[in-house]
Amino acid sequence: MTDRETEQVSAESALYVFAVCRLPDPTAFAGLPGVAVGEALRRLRFGELTAIVQTVRAADFTDEAWQARMADRGELERYARAHHDVVSAAAASCPTVPLPMATLYHGEERAQQALLAETERFLAALRRTADHSEWGVKVYTAAPAVSVPARTRPATSPGSSRPTPGAGLAYLERKRGAQAQRERRHEDSLRLAETVDAAFQGLAAAGRRLRLHVPETTGTSHVQVLNATYLVAEHRAAELGPLTRALQESTGARIDVSGPWVPYSFVGEV
Amino acid sequence: MEREVVPWDNPEPLRGPVGVPLVDLLDRVLATGVVVSGDLVIAIADVPLVRLSLHALLSSVNERVPAPWADGGPL
Repeated sequence: MTDRETEQVSAESALYVFAVCRLPDPTAFAGLPGVAVGEALRRLRFGELTAIVQTVRAADFTDEAWQARMADRGELERYARAHHDVVSAAAASCPTVPLPMATLYHGEERAQQALLAETERFLAALRRTADHSEWGVKVYTAAPAVSVPARTRPATSPGSSRPTPGAGLAYLERKRGAQAQRERRHEDSLRLAETVDAAFQGLAAAGRRLRLHVPETTGTSHVQVLNATYLVAEHRAAELGPLTRALQESTGARIDVSGPWVPYSFVGEV
Repeated sequence: MEREVVPWDNPEPLRGPVGVPLVDLLDRVLATGVVVSGDLVIAIADVPLVRLSLHALLSSVNERVPAPWADGGPL
């Protein structure tokens, strides 16, 4: 291979960084495919920390390639799970700071240099998340989300007791009733979210609200009112079950707890 | 008790469960806690861009098939 060809190859490759660890066990992720075919995952030392990296084709990670991937659910899922598998395997072997999907550098030297410059933030994240796990909490309203057609107005609506003084007036009252019901439901939802969030915050070292999922993606007709995630000390994780049950009983809402997660959501804040 | 909390079978601590819903996974792996900026990632992980595409993705998927990843989920 000529020098020019070598240069060409290195220009076409990039380094994908999955996570940063203290002392990862190389056997922990030995069998995992990562995000590139035929390239082994390996460790890249920088200062006192180690990154878990993989050489990838730069052409697979251009903005265009990524946008196309984001629009293909199968591809997106494949990459997300591959990334998550490596991060999880690393975290099972040592304290780990997961990096977001698709964090890439032009090469090893460049990655070492950039990561080294962030060492303090990695160490702070490792300190913050040591002996903690992330737990997801999603809350759904008790009643299914039914769109309110005009005829399901409350029976207490004054318009319903009258014979038919005027269709227009009845219509307006129905609209008002529906509007009031919507507002009431909205306020109830906010209150429910606050109640559950406050309860979990009391147990957690930190908490974050994530974007709410639209009903179609949750596979349920119940409205999601809270999608939050909490950093919980390992010795307090056993309290999550009883707290969840108590909240379900007192609020009547459905509460889904997931975890333990690698603390993805708690490594970026200072 | 643990089993009631964790909606999927979790063989090892912190091991990514196969059944974890994609929508929950994306909440976490898509730059929610950015620590560093990569060289090529700047455009890729630009959050509004990703969110926009993701939104389009979720919407278009919903119209065609009902929440395919809910199958493996805790629901």
